Amino acid sequence: MPPRKNDILQGTLALLVLKTLQQGPMHGWGITLHIQQISNEVLRVEEGSLYPALHRMEQDGWIAAEWGVSENNRRARYYRLTATGRKQLAKEEQSWQELIGAVALVLQFGAKA
Amino acid sequence: MGLIRKVRALFHRDKLTAEVDEELRYHLAMREDLNRRAGMAQAEARLSAQRSFGNLTLLKESTREADLLVFLETVLKDIHFAARMLAKHPGFTLLAVLALSVGIGVNTAVFTACKAVLLQPLDAKDSGQLANVYQSTAQHRYDQHFSFLDFEFYRDHSRAFSGLVATTGGELAMTGGQGIANSGTSMTGGLARAFGFRLPSVMGGSSQFVSVASVSENYFAVLGVNAIRGRVFLPQDTQEMDAHPAILISENFWRRRFGGDPSVLGKNVKLNGAAFTIIGITPHDFVGTIINVPNVWLPMRLWPLASKDSNILHDREDACCALYGRLAPGVSLKQAQAEMNLLAGRVRTLHAPHSEGSQTATISLTPGSHIGPVNLLGSELAFALLLILGAVGLVLLIACANVGSLQLARSAARQKEMGIRLSVGASRFRIIRQLLTESALLGLIAGGASLLMTWWVLRLLMLGIAGTLPIEWGSLALHVEPDLHVFVYVFILSLFASVLFGLAPALQSSRPSLSSALKEEGSGLALRLSNSRLRNLLMGTQAAACLFLLISAALLIRGSIRSMIISPGYETKHVVSLDVIFPPGLGYNHAKQLAEMNQLLGRISATPGAISETIGLAPNHGGLRTAAVGLNGMKPSTGNMARTVFYSYVAPNYFECLSIPLVAGHTFSERSAAPDPTVILSESAASELWPGENPIGKRVALDAANQFHEKTELIPRGDAYEVIAVAKDTRAITPQGGDNRKAYLSSPRDRIDGGALLLVRFRGDPNSIVVELNKQLHVVDPNLIVYASTLQDLLTSTPTFVVTRLSAIFASLIGGLGLLLACVGIYGTVSYAVTRRTREVGIRMALGARKGDVLRLIVLESGRPVMLGLLAGVAAAAGASRVLQALLFGLGSLDPVSFFGVGFLFVLIALLAAYVPARRAAQVDPMVALRCD
Repeated sequence: MPPRKNDILQGTLALLVLKTLQQGPMHGWGITLHIQQISNEVLRVEEGSLYPALHRMEQDGWIAAEWGVSENNRRARYYRLTATGRKQLAKEEQSWQELIGAVALVLQFGAKA
Repeated sequence: MGLIRKVRALFHRDKLTAEVDEELRYHLAMREDLNRRAGMAQAEARLSAQRSFGNLTLLKESTREADLLVFLETVLKDIHFAARMLAKHPGFTLLAVLALSVGIGVNTAVFTACKAVLLQPLDAKDSGQLANVYQSTAQHRYDQHFSFLDFEFYRDHSRAFSGLVATTGGELAMTGGQGIANSGTSMTGGLARAFGFRLPSVMGGSSQFVSVASVSENYFAVLGVNAIRGRVFLPQDTQEMDAHPAILISENFWRRRFGGDPSVLGKNVKLNGAAFTIIGITPHDFVGTIINVPNVWLPMRLWPLASKDSNILHDREDACCALYGRLAPGVSLKQAQAEMNLLAGRVRTLHAPHSEGSQTATISLTPGSHIGPVNLLGSELAFALLLILGAVGLVLLIACANVGSLQLARSAARQKEMGIRLSVGASRFRIIRQLLTESALLGLIAGGASLLMTWWVLRLLMLGIAGTLPIEWGSLALHVEPDLHVFVYVFILSLFASVLFGLAPALQSSRPSLSSALKEEGSGLALRLSNSRLRNLLMGTQAAACLFLLISAALLIRGSIRSMIISPGYETKHVVSLDVIFPPGLGYNHAKQLAEMNQLLGRISATPGAISETIGLAPNHGGLRTAAVGLNGMKPSTGNMARTVFYSYVAPNYFECLSIPLVAGHTFSERSAAPDPTVILSESAASELWPGENPIGKRVALDAANQFHEKTELIPRGDAYEVIAVAKDTRAITPQGGDNRKAYLSSPRDRIDGGALLLVRFRGDPNSIVVELNKQLHVVDPNLIVYASTLQDLLTSTPTFVVTRLSAIFASLIGGLGLLLACVGIYGTVSYAVTRRTREVGIRMALGARKGDVLRLIVLESGRPVMLGLLAGVAAAAGASRVLQALLFGLGSLDPVSFFGVGFLFVLIALLAAYVPARRAAQVDPMVALRCD
């Protein structure tokens, strides 16, 4: 199955989720909507990978989960950033910047030539 | 860090699943909501939401997996599945568990027993700090015996030990103190009797011999053990002890003799005539450093009171005491050993010059144990141990080969299942893991079953033995409940065995290519070949090991039967031997003993049923004595051990009473007070001394002064004797033989050494004559100690007979188990082959083969590996029979009856085991067989 165009790049899902949760606790659905809206519908979070990723991050201690009541009075699982998660976010943001910078260098080299 | 949480999550998997469900349901509902608001219809909104999720079940699984320790979960699943598979094939499971648990059970039983005997720690508080003390000289390696004076020196000078104790012991005659001394009937219990052993019956009377452990006064303080009633000896009580001689009794003896009467404390008893007060009772089964629970504990300084001619307290050369020490805190065995060696140098100078004690000696310490470290065992014991362990090892081998072939059969029958699992994506590793889980589960079940079995069997055995031993042997305190170590042993053994028998089939059955496996019976010629080679190997191994055990068993059984039927050369069934002992210390002087003995002889001849009585040692009684021989006026040479005869003193009517024919000459003249200078030789002795000559009238000098004998015993001292008669040989009773070279000397009148050996010829029932004689003897004197047994019983208690009989029992039990297992294995393997070849049989029969042909084909094919195994087994047994030679009573070591008989029987049984399933194949209807898939 070829990847759809708007799929989030491998490895960036964690970064996006952590960044989203920096705003405050949120449930899986909220995270999906947030990423989609903020990115002007460019980035689409795949449900198939979001939930396994959330649970793995929870096991790794980056985020913590608890049951809460959503805006429309339903039980939903809220994730919030932990101290470890905050450090992880900083790390991932930095490496993302480095990656972009590196890719930009390669592209600029082509442009100059 | 998440590991613990993940494992914990395994235990509330259901809750976790529900939570994941709910979380995803919320997401789904919100998406559906959004879709509806975007203008979709209700049904379309739901479908679209679900579609965006993709495979919901897979998503749930993969979400869950993040929270679980998946590996562990699949292991649990494997176990669950394995349990289901085992339950689905109860026949296979039962056979396999039975075979394995017998194999493991026998091994555990033997291991437990060996451990109980060899590795039992000393019975003391903190026994790990105790050490055995040995000294090695040029002549004696690892001798644990020191003289009492040497002990005192080490005790007083050693700093490395917080305490050093010494023990010695023996049997003393106990009188008084009430209680029931002897029941008056045979002490032989059911178990020994069932095995054909009879111990002499002790005749009722107020005296009895008791086993006495004589220990240094600090013994109980150093071992850290207290009395359960009364008190123990204390090192500072020496003066008190000298003024009021005291003993302790064991709880076991207290129950046995005094019926557990608490008023026994403070009572007086006599040991060899000296009075002692019972001041305490030691705990049940307390053995301290001794192997058996003694009846009585006696302070060593009081030993001479009871044993009058003993000078152990003052004789530096009398190495009488075994030494054990408790290491001082923080001192290692090595340090203690170094210190002891320094002290040994000083001790040496205290000994008389040229005595053994003055030689250079090395002290070695070993961790405390009853029989010393295993590597110091005598070579005979080590050899016997090796044989026993080897035999039980073979049983385990048979069991494993057996279950291996069953497993192989079953996994081959499961080829199709494996094929399907491989083709739907299971990895080979996964399948092997599944099969190994099944094997391991099987092994564990078998291990558990065998543990229970072992425990039960050992308990039964020990209870049987404990009830059998005569009181003067003390009681046996072997702790044979399987302990933690034994459990671990069983556990590892069962796991090892199960992996061993599960691995090969697992590798085999996971290998097939998909297509051929799915076609089932076409399953590839190559596979079938390698499969059958493994199967044949397993079958051959079983046959070889089983036959080896069976032939050895047959040889031993034949040996023991032979020992019963070959004529001993004298009457055994109607002669009873009476050992009459005047209890030491009760004031029996020579005149009194003589008077009583004459009264006894009078009473015996008046006893109804008694025909005649004589004086002398029964030919098969223990206590043989040898004398060096000198011919032609030469002095007997002690160096020449080949020229020795076995002598005994007998009365003139000895030969008549025992029906030993005299082939030449006539018996002694009446007994006189002076030593009689005549001798009667056995045929073997005569032909050894004068081959081909007439020995009558020749003279022979006999000297036993340098051979083993008691101090006060009557012995020939180099005098010359004239041969007046030759008697028929009686059978040798020692394993080495040669004790049929006999010299009978005339027993002098009026000679009596604290007792006498009487032989009574009788008619009728041996038990009633023993009861009758018992009454008569104790009318004369109730204090006499008398051991009675018929010569037949004595014969069955000679060491060679006992060893042969015991090993025959052991070998046939083990061999029988092996046979049972091998039959199960052969039956299982052939049944499997038959099931697998139904179609082939169908084709053969459709092409005109008859039932007989099919039967022959299958039976012969399975017969080939059995035959090969048979040859290997026979070869191995031939080797073993040489080793067993001494136990076979002159049976040729390649005894044809054992070899051909057992071999033939085995083939018959093996063919039968193959025939039963083969018949099933022959009854196949060709049409059904061809259609069977």
